[in-house]
Amino acid sequence: MMVGKRRVVIVPCSGIGKPFGTVAREAAYDLVEDLRPDTTRIVALSKLVLGDQESRAIVAADPVVTIDGCKLNCAAKMVKESGGTIAVEVAVLEVFRRHKDLKPEGIAQLNSEGVRLALVLAQELLPEIDALTTATGEVDHA
Amino acid sequence: MPDLPEKKAGIISCSGEELAEGTVTRLAALKVLHQTRRGDTVTLCLPLFLAGGEGERTFAKFYPTITVDGCQLRCAARATERYSAKPAASLVITDLAAERGISGIAGCRRLNDAGQQAVEATAEVLAGLVDQVLGRTVPPPKVMEDPVARRPVGTCQCGSGVPVTMLTINGRAVEAVALPILLDRFVGAGRTVDAAGLNDLLVQVRIYNEVLPEDEAAWVDALRLELESRSREGPP
Repeated sequence: MMVGKRRVVIVPCSGIGKPFGTVAREAAYDLVEDLRPDTTRIVALSKLVLGDQESRAIVAADPVVTIDGCKLNCAAKMVKESGGTIAVEVAVLEVFRRHKDLKPEGIAQLNSEGVRLALVLAQELLPEIDALTTATGEVDHA
Repeated sequence: MPDLPEKKAGIISCSGEELAEGTVTRLAALKVLHQTRRGDTVTLCLPLFLAGGEGERTFAKFYPTITVDGCQLRCAARATERYSAKPAASLVITDLAAERGISGIAGCRRLNDAGQQAVEATAEVLAGLVDQVLGRTVPPPKVMEDPVARRPVGTCQCGSGVPVTMLTINGRAVEAVALPILLDRFVGAGRTVDAAGLNDLLVQVRIYNEVLPEDEAAWVDALRLELESRSREGPP
């Protein structure tokens, strides 16, 4: 068994009805593609809905950050139902309340405010993600 | 399923965040929902089958639903069938791309050219399937693009899903799935709010809702109140 840096699993909601869902998705990509590509990974929410065993094992083994676009909190609920441990639970609406100037619009294509809101959300998560990944534990499953 | 007046097709995409093909499903679904078949289609976030309420789980029973999946796991199709009802039709992007000779789809966040081609091809096929499940032989006239989606009222928190009305049945708050549409149809047909009319309405309500025998009288009372309330308020 190897010991090393953990990977933090990012699970955004799959919201398709409002721009906040797109912000959740965009923030997840900010983290895994730009800000922390080596220490984070995405798990698709649809796989958890289906009960995909591999995805369930990943969220059960590594710390999870959920990003939800509405108060139904689908991402958080599905991770919990899949046996995962949520390290950080974020709601886009909460972040938006602190950054009212960044009103997201557009679902297929976010406006520039929405893109900035996603980046702000992602950046706010960095201290917690870094703390989770500097803790030693079983190595990632990627 | 009754012959409802405003028949719409449901579209559920996997929106898979791990693969570029998941982004293709999302963007193709949105193109059909908001542009090419706007007004004829509705959607639901896939996780709401589990995280939502009865209204969400009735979605595919209520709307003939087309699922769009990015890969062979077919999460949207399988989850829709498992938690709601069998989809009327299903699409898988990897299959469609192979058929159309589109290769090299990449870019989960920003699709490359192949990904954009796949979006266009998927949206085209999806629109055809919408026409098919709605029984159309001729495609509708083209509509101007409008980024703002029309949303049905009184639906789920994410702005999509089957319309519902909250009723009080024997002291319990009950979500009556599809009731707004059924009431519209009842009123539109010029039905009278009498015992026969309410009984017919209850038959329709039962299709989408569990009505326990001991609650029948309370449902009839609640339906009468809803109809009387509508009558006072006038047409929507």
